[in-house]
Amino acid sequence: MAISSATELRQRLETSWPVESIQRQQVYLVVIALLAAYPAVYHLLSQSPLANETVALLPRMETMVGVLYFALFAMSFDFISGYTGYLSFGHAAFYGTGAYTVLLIANGKVPLLPPETPFVATLLIGAVLATVLAVVIGLVSFRLTGVYFAMITLGFTQVMYVFVRDWDYVGSNPRDGIALSGARGFELGVPYVDQLTVALGTLTGDTLTLFGHTLGTTTVSFYAIGVVVLLCYLGMQRIVHSPFGRVMVAIRENEERAEAIGYDTFRYKLGAFAISGFFGGVAGGLLAGFKRSVTPETGFYFLTGGDALLASIIGGFGTLAGPLWGHLFDEVIREFLSKQGQGGGLLPYLREALSEGVLTTELVGGLTVEGFITAALNGHASLYVGVVFVLFVLYVPDGLVGTVRDRLGGPVARRLPERLWGER
Amino acid sequence: MIPVDSLSVALLQTGFVDGLLDFLQPDVLAGVVVRGLAKSAIYIMIAAGLTLIFGLLGVLNFAHGALTMIGAYLGGLVMVLTVANGTGPWTRLALFFVAMTVVFGLLAALGGSIELSLIRPLYDRPPIYQILLTFGLTLVLEELVRIVVQFYGLQPIAKWQQALGTIPVFLETTQSLGPLSVRGLVFFEILLGALSVAGIWGFLTRTRYGLFIRAGSEDSEMAEALGIDVRRVFTVVFALGAGIAGIAGTLLMWDQVWGASVPLAADTLLPAFVVVIIGGLGTFRGTVVGGLVVGLVDATTTWWFQNVVVTWTWLPEVAIFLILVVALIVRPQGIYGVEEVGGH
Repeated sequence: MAISSATELRQRLETSWPVESIQRQQVYLVVIALLAAYPAVYHLLSQSPLANETVALLPRMETMVGVLYFALFAMSFDFISGYTGYLSFGHAAFYGTGAYTVLLIANGKVPLLPPETPFVATLLIGAVLATVLAVVIGLVSFRLTGVYFAMITLGFTQVMYVFVRDWDYVGSNPRDGIALSGARGFELGVPYVDQLTVALGTLTGDTLTLFGHTLGTTTVSFYAIGVVVLLCYLGMQRIVHSPFGRVMVAIRENEERAEAIGYDTFRYKLGAFAISGFFGGVAGGLLAGFKRSVTPETGFYFLTGGDALLASIIGGFGTLAGPLWGHLFDEVIREFLSKQGQGGGLLPYLREALSEGVLTTELVGGLTVEGFITAALNGHASLYVGVVFVLFVLYVPDGLVGTVRDRLGGPVARRLPERLWGER
Repeated sequence: MIPVDSLSVALLQTGFVDGLLDFLQPDVLAGVVVRGLAKSAIYIMIAAGLTLIFGLLGVLNFAHGALTMIGAYLGGLVMVLTVANGTGPWTRLALFFVAMTVVFGLLAALGGSIELSLIRPLYDRPPIYQILLTFGLTLVLEELVRIVVQFYGLQPIAKWQQALGTIPVFLETTQSLGPLSVRGLVFFEILLGALSVAGIWGFLTRTRYGLFIRAGSEDSEMAEALGIDVRRVFTVVFALGAGIAGIAGTLLMWDQVWGASVPLAADTLLPAFVVVIIGGLGTFRGTVVGGLVVGLVDATTTWWFQNVVVTWTWLPEVAIFLILVVALIVRPQGIYGVEEVGGH
């Protein structure tokens, strides 16, 4: 068929499926592009005259990698807690299981699995183990509801936490967790194909040279882990929008009614919990892959699950992308307001920016300005995160993404383009 | 299966029957029971405020551990400021009760203002938001205490030794009673626990305000219809719960096992939850029984795993959570709980 005019061509183009599908996904694409551009932007800004401000304000690359895998864990938490309404207070168990499995196999502590087993495989094994664990815990716990459910999952996790802390099989000092022996990094990608894998880690990772630019180890890890997190996100997104996901929401809204309609809610809850455990395990495996070590505190302690809760609430409970933004927000505040490692933040910035006269000015009773900012900012990020969290619970109960969604009247990815470019 | 092997080896080495015979000897058994009762007293005291608040307000107060911890520091502060090296043991004991009263007052004020300013706006929301709010509050309170404590040059993680040192001699040293010989503090804890239980019990059943509280727990709308200002009762109960947490904290400040430190918040919150859940959320009777069960089982397992099965050093630490899991499987609503409480 001949195309008669330019207008018709435009119309035909706009209704063809690739263009339409790009239009439908544009919010995702923009977000992915923004995240993908972050290393370059950070690099450019830190070379510019605004270097001091950049280092003080923006999270470091290493933090960003952490944001990615922890956001995946927070999403897996939100997947069960935000969508079915069952607060899984012991979610750290799955994170820890994933991380411990990867490191135990890599240290040759698991029979039948040699230390050379590809990282992708151990990642999956860890995730499957976490799934099995979720089914076992779920079989018992889903007989209960509400606070009792939260408490029994907490109980299971605490038992595992204390066990792991004293399990001398993992190493001579189980309280310090396990670290990977040797200097090699975990290789993420297609197993046995060297060109398609990259090693992770700040010290042990690969660098990549593309178009004459060399990407640092952390940046490479950022992209590699980002791809896995994205795939997991899309998987969960698919499930949430499937009929299965509808039943999950129905359970949250009114479980008795869902049951009355004829759904076997127990099975749906168990299934959702297992899926959530799987992705929690993947997140833990990624933590192990990047950090090459895990401690009982970072893996199994219930407050690790508490951090996921913070991320979910700040980002938006019951929105899958929310935990990513929530955790990013959380980490930005944490890093900005407390001195961490060699990184930036407000404290070094203030020390540099304020003059000596201001710093030594006395406030009250011998407390100088410098003493005050040191006391208030040095390592007390939890205080500010807690304040922000309380404010969110009180005034922004739907979180960042949830509030935007309510304003737009539907899922952000669908509604935002409509708002911006008009109804189609 | 390595653990099973090592367990059976351990059982063979020491002998299960020998262990049982040892355990059943009167002095050993009495020691375990008395230590168990002391643990129970502590568990009941840290859980009592939590259960009062949940019973009436339906709020699972995650900040309860932080309040206990603040109580421990404040109590320690009063003691350290008033007790000198030469202070006699009886004066110290008297000062302890002064400290307890002061801490009760301060924490009740803190609890009341928390309820008024932060919890009150949330009653119309789903219960999860109250959990979230108090969880956030814990972070803030813990960090504030950390800042203050560090400012005065104390280690926030370590136990406050100076406060531990204000304990009277006769509580510090080992006392004998019949075949028993345990630290004097053990008896003091049992005594104080019994007094607290009796006090709260009397308040709930013998006073007019206790009647309001019980009525409000039963059916707050009906109580309101009958002319009780339920909102004010809510505030009073939250203040009371916080005050009781403070009393418990003051006691823990003297105990070598606990001591005033920032991690005390999480260390007391988790057992308190376990006790409250096992007893049945919101029933004071359930909390007392739950505390007794947990304390006695805890003391028993600790003895067994220290003296007979020595291979699993981690088990005493998780005993309390194992009790929780088992109890929830066997009787999900708790010993005295009603099915609907804590429902979805």
